[in-house]
Amino acid sequence: MGGSASQLSKTLINEYQELTYLTKQEILLAYRRFSELAQKESRSNIESIRIPKERFLTLPELKANPFKHRICHVFSTSDQEDGGMTFEDFLDLLSAFSESATLEIKSHYAFRIFDFDGDGVLNESDLEKLVNHLTGEEENTKLSSNEMKQLIANILEESDIDKDGTINHSEFQHVISRSPDFVRAAPSGHELLTN
Amino acid sequence: MGDILAQGSPCNETLHAISLPIHWISNMSDSRDQLLFGKYYILLQDEAANTEPVNSPVQDPAKRSVNMSFNYNEGFVNSGYHDSETLELDRGQHGRPSYRQNSSFHHNSSGPPDGGYAGYLEDPSERRGGQRLMPINPVYQEFDYNQPIPRYQEPMNSNYESRINPVFESDMESPYIDQRNEKSPYMDSDLSEGDKNIRRRSKRQSALPMQILNTSNVAGAIPTEERHLQAENEKLIGKLSEMSEQDIGMEIQKLQISLNEKRGLRNKVIKVKARSSKGVSQTDCCSGCMYSMKKSYRGWRQFNSDFFTAFKLWHSTLKVIEGKFGTSILSYFIFLRWLLGFNIFSFLINFSFITIPQFFDLSPNNLSFSGLEIITGAGYFEETVLYYGYYSNSTIRKEAHLAPYNMQLAYIFTIGLYLGTCFFILLYSMGKSFRDNFINPSSFTGNAAKLLCSWDFSITNEKAVKLKKKYLSTQIKETMSEKLMEKLKLTMKQRVSRFCIHVLAWFLSCGIAAGCCAGVYYLCTNIDTQFSITEPLRKQAATLVVPVVVAFINLFVPLIYSLFGLVEKYKYPRHHTYVVIIRNVLLKISIIGILCYYWLHAVAESNRECWENYVGQDIYRLVVIDFIFVLLGSFFGEFIRRIIGTRCLKKWGKPEFDIARNVLDLIYAQTLAWIGIFFSPLLPIIQMIKLFIIFYLKRVSLMMNCTPPRRAWRASQMTTVFIFLLFFPSFAGVLCLIGVTVWRRQPSKLCGPFQELTTPYDSITNWVATIHVFNDAKWVVWIYNNLIQSVLFFYILTLIVLIISYLYLQIVRGRKTMVKHLLMQIGNEGNDKAFLLRELQKSHNSFTAPVIVPYEKLPAQASASQGTHDMNVINEMHSRLPSSGITGSTDARALAMMARHEAEREEQPPVNYGRHLRVNEENSDAADMVMRSRMEAESDSKQAHSSRPNSGVVAMRIVSDRGTPVVSRFWRGFCENLGIELLLLLLLFFIYKAPAYSAALYNRHSIDGLQYIEQHLTNSTRGDEALFP
Repeated sequence: MGGSASQLSKTLINEYQELTYLTKQEILLAYRRFSELAQKESRSNIESIRIPKERFLTLPELKANPFKHRICHVFSTSDQEDGGMTFEDFLDLLSAFSESATLEIKSHYAFRIFDFDGDGVLNESDLEKLVNHLTGEEENTKLSSNEMKQLIANILEESDIDKDGTINHSEFQHVISRSPDFVRAAPSGHELLTN
Repeated sequence: MGDILAQGSPCNETLHAISLPIHWISNMSDSRDQLLFGKYYILLQDEAANTEPVNSPVQDPAKRSVNMSFNYNEGFVNSGYHDSETLELDRGQHGRPSYRQNSSFHHNSSGPPDGGYAGYLEDPSERRGGQRLMPINPVYQEFDYNQPIPRYQEPMNSNYESRINPVFESDMESPYIDQRNEKSPYMDSDLSEGDKNIRRRSKRQSALPMQILNTSNVAGAIPTEERHLQAENEKLIGKLSEMSEQDIGMEIQKLQISLNEKRGLRNKVIKVKARSSKGVSQTDCCSGCMYSMKKSYRGWRQFNSDFFTAFKLWHSTLKVIEGKFGTSILSYFIFLRWLLGFNIFSFLINFSFITIPQFFDLSPNNLSFSGLEIITGAGYFEETVLYYGYYSNSTIRKEAHLAPYNMQLAYIFTIGLYLGTCFFILLYSMGKSFRDNFINPSSFTGNAAKLLCSWDFSITNEKAVKLKKKYLSTQIKETMSEKLMEKLKLTMKQRVSRFCIHVLAWFLSCGIAAGCCAGVYYLCTNIDTQFSITEPLRKQAATLVVPVVVAFINLFVPLIYSLFGLVEKYKYPRHHTYVVIIRNVLLKISIIGILCYYWLHAVAESNRECWENYVGQDIYRLVVIDFIFVLLGSFFGEFIRRIIGTRCLKKWGKPEFDIARNVLDLIYAQTLAWIGIFFSPLLPIIQMIKLFIIFYLKRVSLMMNCTPPRRAWRASQMTTVFIFLLFFPSFAGVLCLIGVTVWRRQPSKLCGPFQELTTPYDSITNWVATIHVFNDAKWVVWIYNNLIQSVLFFYILTLIVLIISYLYLQIVRGRKTMVKHLLMQIGNEGNDKAFLLRELQKSHNSFTAPVIVPYEKLPAQASASQGTHDMNVINEMHSRLPSSGITGSTDARALAMMARHEAEREEQPPVNYGRHLRVNEENSDAADMVMRSRMEAESDSKQAHSSRPNSGVVAMRIVSDRGTPVVSRFWRGFCENLGIELLLLLLLFFIYKAPAYSAALYNRHSIDGLQYIEQHLTNSTRGDEALFP
């Protein structure tokens, strides 16, 4: 594996280290994982190829995540909106999910992940989608519409400080600032960084 | 673009794009984008083309709609789709009519696409009227410069990203624009339906500003905007370039932009830095030296962090557990590791300061070793360094020229040092987790957080994800039913019966605990007489009776307690959890308590030869037997239970991993280890081995046998509770016990370091008496005599601490009221906002409709109910639009918007400034937070000052121009900002609150901060009064 790792030049690694929260080992690991994913493409310029979303989501760490599509979408810089990921997007993702990333960064990306329609606030439909993602869409786990209504009303009642029917970013931050579990649960414990 | 950057080439290209917004439009060579252009083209094709040519094919709109609906179903925001809306923006004034249809499509996009599409098809025919094509360029510039919601992104970087990265940008920004169009209340003549829209819209900029801004752009506001933007960029870069290398890295890390943009920014900063440093001095060898030193330091730090992550025990194992079972179970293992750290520390300290010196003065060990000693700890071990009795009271002096080593002092100081360190570490971690977890528990029920923060992103196992989903769903359902249950009042009879059951259960559990204690005490005192056996082996075995009984109690009584749960009914299930924990803690503590009583009374005051050894052995046996029972419990409770659950009784299923029980076991074991530290200084080594094996055992058992707990745990809150338990009954009790031993009990006369003394503490008194003669050590004597021996000193100290605590209590109370007021105020602001918007809408419908509505109204949509009035509107529109278009009214709005824009722009720099400073600072916790928030408060009040004069002037202008509606619109804009500001203030306030619970240091700062908040509030109210007499 050392062969593929050596393809990353030292300056580039330094640069990545400077720009992300990742350590050198983590960057190299990420690089290895990424080049494994990119097998079929030319191996010479791993940094520049873009892996399609479907293949990227076969990463075992993301496979099971109910928000995987959202994650891809938020971190992808693809022009084509297809959620394709480059190596740098991947590093961005890892950096945001790493343990040393600040709460602000985490909340920023979490907010964007939860903001399904991308309108900058979490409104009722966003919350509904969020709950559905959380509970799964199966018959036995899905909430009834009545429960959903009640639930969303509860959430809004609690977190919508200015009572405008939506949760904006600062309100979201406010909620999670009171929930220290977020910091611990939010970092994707990407096993790829450890094994 | 990505390719260029990825190859590490300079990012000039990207940066060029900053000044060329059009550049990235052309970058988006995607067919969908072309479609947008195509659409744009279709809609406007009959227009006189006074615009840049758009070279894209005219495409079938049907294709596009399919495209869109597909993307929508993906659950994604298709930014291309949004772009289409944004591109239409500039024709908002002219082509607004069709917009209605389009936005309705957007609105109903969750429904079948055909409906919306049908409306869409009508577009071209409807928009024949006065339409005019606007240049594309200004559109992009416009939403580049106009940061509609600066708080959504970091304001300082948004300038960059909007230009550099098309996708990111379109994703982030376009929604506002399309919302703006979509939600415009001016489009919805229907008030009742519009109400919601207004509410939703209230956080964004109004619809109007955008349109007017167009005008202003066209009117020539671009150059100033551009200049301003550049200035801002330069400011940021300048600020960055003033920082040190490392700070730049750290700050750039914090930006919420993608890697490419970060790199671009960094390169620019470095370039600027290089230029400036070249300009200043070429031969500054000092800075070069500093630079290289910094670089090497950085490298060293990097190495260090890598090294420590590798060294962190079980790091990867914990990751795996986290991935499979989530953070709540992880917290158990982290707790275990933390305890292990304590024990390693105490082992190191004891071994190096007590045991190693003793090795120089070994006495021969004549006892035989049979093997049973490993469990009993008696026999052979009595004559080893494991126990107190083996240590000598002499002064060890190996050779004449070496300094002597006083074992008495070493023993007492080492134990004291260790306990003191433990005390402070525990206090610190307890304070920290209290601060983090109980910031404001009164106003916090945790429902929202439960959902918004509930997804454990760390879980990566597919099965676990499914389980987690199921649990979440059941939990949500439970909570909902809990809510309903709350309304359901119990009858008197039910309540009484419940109360009786609770009382009975408590009575029973306390009774059981007391009975167990009595039994243990009886057993302890009578064991020697009952088992008067002379054979040494059986005698040794007899000593195991008490530990085994205690272990049995610890294992089975909790089971009885959990049986109570079948009868007892609680309103909330979590109360049940807490009650069970409390009962178990009571049981364990009372048993340990009775044992301590036995040791300190019956044993210490008996005439045993070496009672400390006896106690040490007792504790050793307790620790070892407890360990064996943990192993057995794990085997039977989890392994056998799993086999039964999966093979025989399928209904049971796999056992849950009971975090509370396991953690309590750990706390119990640690308490024993702490008690034993005086009597058996090397007991930590046993505890270390024990914890080490338990870790692996539990890991294997967890992976093989268990499922995660069904109920979601608030992991961090539970951790706080556990640390508290570890501190309060456990560690505090240990301190009491050792205190009594050291100050009040006479050490045995024939063994141990303190033989021949009346109490172990006398060793210190004697020592002070001996150093009295040395002049250098006078201060030690003084401290000892005047502070430690003096009762008065402790009285005064206690009094001072009590006074400080009281003052803090009052401060906290005051802040609570303040928070309540602020919350109320925000709520009121929200209400005001909604009310004003409604009023505004009313007045628009009646009074200014002809002026403002035309751009949004459609002939086809003039509803019959509005009849003639709307017809007038339409007529007016027709007469107005083809002519030079924008008349007085729009001018007024343009002015208003320009002014508003100015004000906003002025808002930005201080905010940036605050953020910058923020980054600069150390991460030194609370003090930093206070400073930060203070900074923000300052910048906020600056904003308030700076924007006010402008707004005043503008308001005057507007009033003279157009009368009340415009003012109220302006007022509304102001209100919106106020709402956001207040929210920010509230957030700040919470930041203030947090440290207040823990430390005195920050008091002055936070009071300053509060003053700022108050000042700001008065300022803003003053501003309101000025605007709205």
